[in-house]
Amino acid sequence: MRALAAIALLLVSAAQPRPDFRNIAAKAGLRRPFPNGGANAKQFIIETTGSGVALLDYDNDGLLDIFVVSGKGGSNRLYHNDGHDHFTDVTEGLGLTSEGWGQGVCAGDYDNDGYTDLFVTYWGQNRLYRNAGGKHFEDVTAAAHLTEDRVRYNTGCAFLDYDNDGRLDLFVANYLQFDPKTTPEPGANPYCWYRGIAVNCGPRGLPFDRNILYHANAGGTFTDVSEHSKIAEPSGHYALGVLTGDFNGDGRPDIYVACDQTPSLLYINQGDGTFAEEAVLRGVAYDADGRSMSGMGVTAADYDGDGWLDIFRSNFSDERETLYRNRGKGEFDDATVAAGLAHNTRYVGWGCGFFDFDNDGWKDLLLVNGHAFPEVDRLGGAVRYKNPMILYHNAGKGRFDDVSGAAGPALLELHSSRGAAFGDIDNDGAIEILVNNQNESPSLLKQSASGSNHWIMLQLTGAKSNRSALGARVRLTASGRSQVDEVRSGGGYLSQNDLRLHFGLGASREADQIEIEWPSGARQKLAHVKADRVVSIRENP
Amino acid sequence: MRAISVLLLCALPALADDALRRGIEAFRAGRHAEARSYFQQSEDREAPVFLALVQAATGGCAQAVPRLAAAFADAAGPELRRLAGEALLSCVESNLKADYPSDADVLYQSARAHLRAWNEAVYQMFQKTPASYRVNQISGEILEIQGKYHEAAAEYRKAIEKNPRALDLHFRLGRVILIDAQGPVALENARREFEGELALNSGDAAAEYEVGQILIAQGKRDAGVSRLERAWALRPDFVEALVAVGRARLENKEYPDAISLLNRAVKLQPRNETAHYSLMMAYRNSGDLEAAKREKAVLDELQKPPEGEFTEFLKKLGEKPPKQ
Repeated sequence: MRALAAIALLLVSAAQPRPDFRNIAAKAGLRRPFPNGGANAKQFIIETTGSGVALLDYDNDGLLDIFVVSGKGGSNRLYHNDGHDHFTDVTEGLGLTSEGWGQGVCAGDYDNDGYTDLFVTYWGQNRLYRNAGGKHFEDVTAAAHLTEDRVRYNTGCAFLDYDNDGRLDLFVANYLQFDPKTTPEPGANPYCWYRGIAVNCGPRGLPFDRNILYHANAGGTFTDVSEHSKIAEPSGHYALGVLTGDFNGDGRPDIYVACDQTPSLLYINQGDGTFAEEAVLRGVAYDADGRSMSGMGVTAADYDGDGWLDIFRSNFSDERETLYRNRGKGEFDDATVAAGLAHNTRYVGWGCGFFDFDNDGWKDLLLVNGHAFPEVDRLGGAVRYKNPMILYHNAGKGRFDDVSGAAGPALLELHSSRGAAFGDIDNDGAIEILVNNQNESPSLLKQSASGSNHWIMLQLTGAKSNRSALGARVRLTASGRSQVDEVRSGGGYLSQNDLRLHFGLGASREADQIEIEWPSGARQKLAHVKADRVVSIRENP
Repeated sequence: MRAISVLLLCALPALADDALRRGIEAFRAGRHAEARSYFQQSEDREAPVFLALVQAATGGCAQAVPRLAAAFADAAGPELRRLAGEALLSCVESNLKADYPSDADVLYQSARAHLRAWNEAVYQMFQKTPASYRVNQISGEILEIQGKYHEAAAEYRKAIEKNPRALDLHFRLGRVILIDAQGPVALENARREFEGELALNSGDAAAEYEVGQILIAQGKRDAGVSRLERAWALRPDFVEALVAVGRARLENKEYPDAISLLNRAVKLQPRNETAHYSLMMAYRNSGDLEAAKREKAVLDELQKPPEGEFTEFLKKLGEKPPKQ
């Protein structure tokens, strides 16, 4: 490790920022480990895919709280942010005690009552928790008509208002059909081996399933519109991470799904209640060679400052991560190699997120890793179960530099990580990262010092649009440069980021202009907004 | 093809006849028609055997077999006799499979013969030449198949130490380094090995191609593209190099050139998915969406999994497949 760190240090030039990320989880009160199947060997695929995390402000006190999803043998946990980087477990008191194979989590105010609700996916029955005034969470799954008629392997999820009616609809990815009674044992067939070691079977060889879209009705219920909307049309995909965004700039939210060992999906919103799956022709199904990758997590940002949302997807070991550059109107080119991202092929990547850690106005990229199979440690090679994280600094001009080795000790810790969520837990303009580690306590990464660059955080509240402002697009201009971002639910790997939008402003002490396109179609402009604070913006009624 | 080219190159230094030498060089560069012509012109008594070797390597077994059989029986020197014997075996098997393409017995016997021959040859090698670099090489190849890349690299390094002039070892070592990891250090180490292969054989198009890809991954795009162009020049039918050059043209927005190159690639290898995908993207980026859709349809067809492949396989293994 010492040698590796030294080599990585050599690659970081003096001009690059030197962040110092520390893992403050234990000090912050996050000491409880979260079970997720075997720690030394895994019998079934269900033990490999979980789980996500969320950063949300459930009680509207202005501080982000923490939600961690658990695998079988534990409960999902909600931790209240007490301030001063300390959290208290409030799971039992708020009615969130659970059991089962928790997978993903997404947040949104589905009933527009001003409090952010939670949706948790499972191998088994998903759960919708209605936030009752920040004092209690009520399981309203059945009342909301979200009961499933069979056991499904639900993974990524996202609230979105796909028909812009002001009510949040819900997308749920499905990985595959899994039944431990019929799934072969490790080593039973060619799909149950990895580099000569018997490992859990799948996903290849296990039956596919279909993704689900629920339309929100008035009165707090949902209707499964997967068939009518054509979401269920594509077959032959092992769906995991979900990302929403208006990729083609038509004002309507589209849905991207990272798929494992099969082509990833891009559902383009047709504006009439249906979607057309167009990932191949739009260039986001495969890698540059036209090969399916093992897509896990997915995130979006305008990394090159051209005004279009680009997509990043984490993949399996022996595969490159994939960065798709949006060349306009939702047509993408694989820019992985050109952007300098093609190096880290020894890790299985999961949680990922664009965030501006040095507030220079360019979105950087962090991904967390961990092999699917603990058994790989027996091989003794470069591929290991527990891995460090990777941090890419956005150098501008479409290039990233790998600064992982010189970004503080937290990135070099070895974990088998899955979900990661990004948000500012202390409202100081430096983004923290919460990570779910298999069979360990979570990690909470915080920079030891904030830099001199300025920032602004926008908390949007819809009026005519959905109250969480999901789908709202912001264009911020400072010192002659524009940045765009959107408010989104879900994302990364089965996780939920801070719903507020964070922008680094570099040396600018104010944002010259902030333009908001609300999902309702309304536009709003603010000028000369002072930096280094959280700004609340309500949609004009 | 790469293996035969390397074997023929081994024979190069001992040759006196100019036409024979030029023929071998032409074959190595993928100019098969030219190679045949040189071998036909050559007055060297071994030229007909080389001609037969080229015919055998390029699908002309019917013409090659009589000459190969004669060379193997008595006409050639020991090295050429060995090459003729290997080519003859390969031709007989190809002919059998061509005449009986769906015959399970023929395919089974072919598989068994290969397996038996492999086992016997490896056993003999370990018994009779345990200290040879070939033992390290074969050990590396076996470890590579087993996914033990680190150990495979160690064996290739030992082989290189024993025989620094042997062809293909640096190439294999470079490739195994790349498969194991693609970090900056691994990329540079692999590049050095491919350059090492090129130092022994400057006409190795595959090594040239790998160097080109690594340089691009290292951010040295222009240098990388010129190496890819050289790889393609060395072997005009090298589809991977052709596709890579086509994609470089596409990135430069030189759409007509990119489309022309990629069309050539799909003609050379109609089932090459990467070539079709790259052509689809070239059409799309050029604005010809209809042509892009046509290419997508071809790609979709190529990527369809064989019907029932997995369940059939499971049945053979006695497993009960999960219900769809």
